[in-house]
Amino acid sequence: MGNKKKKTKGYESCSGCGVCLLVCPLWRTTGAMTYTRKGRAKAMQGGVSHEEIAASIDACLMCGSCEPACPEGIGIVAMNLEQRRMLNQSRSSYPAWYPKNEATASPRNSKLPQTKTILMAGRNLDGDIKIVETIVDLLGGDKNIGIADDDGRDIAAAIEAGLPVPPDRIALCISLLRNAKNLIVSEGLLHRQLREWLPAKKVMGVGEALLNIPSIRRALRPDDIFIVESRGYHSDFERLVKFYDRLRKDTGCQMNLDLQRIAIPTGASSLRGLHNKKTAGCAEHAAWILKGRKFKRIVVEDLADMEVFQEITDVPVVHLSMAGFEK
Amino acid sequence: MQIPVIEPGCIPPDPVSPDSLKGIPRQQTNPARRSFENWKDFVGHLRSEGVFVREGKVESSIFVTDAGGLAFGLPHGVVRPNSAEDISKLLKAAQLHRVPVTVRGGGLTTEGESVAFGGILLDMSSLNKVLKIDAKAMTVRTQAGIFWHQLAEILRRDGMDYLSAPLNLTASVGGTLGVGGIDVNSSRLGCSSDQAVELEVVTPTGEIMRCSETENPELFERVLLGYGQFGVITEAVLKIRKFSPLTMQYYYYASLRTAIEDLQMLSKADAADYAGILTILDRAITLLVAFDSDERRKEFEQIWKHKLRGHGELGFGLLMARYYLLRPWKMEEALYIASRRFKLFPEFNRPEFMRDGKIIDRTVVFSRAVWKFWGGRQMVIPDLSAKAEKFVEAVERGNAVCRKYFKYYTLYCVGIKLKGNLPRYEMSCIPQDASDIAYGCEFEPMLRDTDYSRDYLQSFKNEIYDIGVDMGLSYYRFGGMMKGYIRRVFGDEMVDKHLAMKKAADPAMILNPDVIF
Ligand SMILES: Cc1cc2nc3c(=O)[nH]c(=O)nc-3n(C[C@H](O)[C@H](O)[C@H](O)COP(=O)(O)OP(=O)(O)OC[C@H]3O[C@@H](n4cnc5c(N)ncnc54)[C@H](O)[C@@H]3O)c2cc1C
Repeated sequence: MGNKKKKTKGYESCSGCGVCLLVCPLWRTTGAMTYTRKGRAKAMQGGVSHEEIAASIDACLMCGSCEPACPEGIGIVAMNLEQRRMLNQSRSSYPAWYPKNEATASPRNSKLPQTKTILMAGRNLDGDIKIVETIVDLLGGDKNIGIADDDGRDIAAAIEAGLPVPPDRIALCISLLRNAKNLIVSEGLLHRQLREWLPAKKVMGVGEALLNIPSIRRALRPDDIFIVESRGYHSDFERLVKFYDRLRKDTGCQMNLDLQRIAIPTGASSLRGLHNKKTAGCAEHAAWILKGRKFKRIVVEDLADMEVFQEITDVPVVHLSMAGFEK
Repeated sequence: MQIPVIEPGCIPPDPVSPDSLKGIPRQQTNPARRSFENWKDFVGHLRSEGVFVREGKVESSIFVTDAGGLAFGLPHGVVRPNSAEDISKLLKAAQLHRVPVTVRGGGLTTEGESVAFGGILLDMSSLNKVLKIDAKAMTVRTQAGIFWHQLAEILRRDGMDYLSAPLNLTASVGGTLGVGGIDVNSSRLGCSSDQAVELEVVTPTGEIMRCSETENPELFERVLLGYGQFGVITEAVLKIRKFSPLTMQYYYYASLRTAIEDLQMLSKADAADYAGILTILDRAITLLVAFDSDERRKEFEQIWKHKLRGHGELGFGLLMARYYLLRPWKMEEALYIASRRFKLFPEFNRPEFMRDGKIIDRTVVFSRAVWKFWGGRQMVIPDLSAKAEKFVEAVERGNAVCRKYFKYYTLYCVGIKLKGNLPRYEMSCIPQDASDIAYGCEFEPMLRDTDYSRDYLQSFKNEIYDIGVDMGLSYYRFGGMMKGYIRRVFGDEMVDKHLAMKKAADPAMILNPDVIF
């Protein structure tokens, strides 16, 4: 599933095998083929327009689960985003969860971090200064790691919504990352884009960065269930599936991975989930992750997942950065 | 094959090999779309009963073809049932208004059997709940629209697994019970249909009935392996087992005959938990054996391993190298085999699916490989199933046909343990003369990167199926586009008997038309 192949294959290559259905959170909750990637591909092969499948295009949580599952190697995430973009071009009113402000090119008063590693906290970590500080401490303090003032959250939101992002807005954002070698990006949706824009830099999620610290790894236990952030994971699946498999071997912890090793998302950090967890089905997805499993603690990579699990279970739910501080 | 140049004003001769379509009226390969004057009344009738017919292009175009990608048809409407009662109402109304109903599970047929040429497409995938796992009786009760993989996900949370299912992840339980369901362990555990303990079925006239070997056994026997002709399966109780990872071993052969003889020896002796043959052309023939436990593996290694005539990887590599070095004009074939070998086999050993040298989630490993290496927008997978004594000849003849038509192809052979002489095997993929273990072989050309005409592919299938007629075999996929072979291979008497049963059960002949009759 090399990138070259992904770029050249679109919905017309869909063979209809349906493997993507099996990992689709919307399929799991609605059972409706029309809401799935297969449904959209087959309908488009049948000649329908983007407007006719607008409900399905809008419903997608952009978790990216379907892409590594696709045996044809279709670049499904890019295709989903492109279809949203095309749909937006032909309509004037958007779903309620769309970002209110488009990504703008207006220069911000951002400092240029000088460190080799930069943390792009994004919406996911924004609400919790304590956690951001802990992450910075764990990763060697502010001499080693700088925090990006411009973390590209507006870009991520616009991309997810299929809205245009002015090239100079992207240019500004990435210019502020020029000194860094490593980017720790909490916004999973940006991983893929940053790898494309800045191919020389190493892009990783907060989870992976923390899990490279031995004390954090040691803090995970067999009776933990570890919730992998799905968007970042699926964007670099071939590499990360091995990384997390080693983690499971080392620690014995359980994970939100299904039999195909796809990370079951809660959908909480999707635009739809951030707008309304209920309509995004977050509790149902989380309940499926926990169903039939025995565990004493839930450890999340993505802060947005914390609230969802806290709502449906009484066991402690902690962010990975705090896992070592918990009894 | 030469496609003749078309002179303006003249109809060219059919480019299909002249003897390959004998006895098969060509219009049967894709039935015409039916039309109805009473469609609106029918839809209104159902609406008044609380059953919603989805009529939009979006809904119906999803189902325009099946996994084969060669038969195309659009339903007039799609029904996604919430219960057996919905299906009962649908079928009662369909009988009254004479509207055909095509049932669809995963849609993994390849001959258009799950494609609706008008009428209603009944999308069973909405009935996908597991109802009860009974760890004491070792059974699961599930709605029949569930895909095997969804079932596996749920069973695994309880440390359980199903017994046998097709290697493709998205086949449904109901669709599979209706056609057979062959796994790499079927020479030991039989086909999926034989794992069913009890069913809930909606008959073509809309009665909701339970059936098993003791309750309504005639219905049970008709519906299992019944190609959806005698009822819609809405629930099934299936046998399950404790989940266990497996260890796999490969033995390589250069001769089909030797490999098949060894497969049959192992199957007959129940020497391995899983056994099957997978080939790259007819040159690199791999006998796969696998074990659910170390005890079984050790037993195999002590008693059977040394009796196998296959080679290890290195020995076979050298053998192949010598063969192709002496035949440099076949270098392209050699390169194909080598590259396929080096791409495919690592898929079976991906680290994330291995634990302590054992494969976990075998369904995922096999099925993902199947889709990745054999899947595509078009698939033709004609097959032959035979009793043990006829199997080698059937495969060798089928292989010759593959060689004639395609540069690259695969054969896949497995055994199917029979559960006795059951009525369900009549007019099914189980050959009538088989006892104990039947054997099946799929002949799958690699269609990617080359455009073949439908006629070319149909000719290929026909030549394979002609072998079945000639040798008195059966087929796994004999419905839909291949139904022209049903009378030829089963004979008029048998077909007429089943047709009479069908007419009695389905007076308006509305359930799954164009599949068998
Ligand atoms: C890539 C690939 C790999 C395959 N591998 C295997 C394999 O390893 N082993 C194997 O046995 N087969 C295999 N098959 C064939 C396929 O798996 C079987 O045909 C399959 O089990 C059918 O299940 P389905 O749910 O897709 O049924 P469908 O294709 O949807 O339907 C099959 C038939 O049953 C009817 N039907 C569907 N659901 C019901 C129901 N609930 N009640 C009554 N009738 C119903 C349909 O009308 C149709 O006639 C493979 C096919 C493909 C394309």
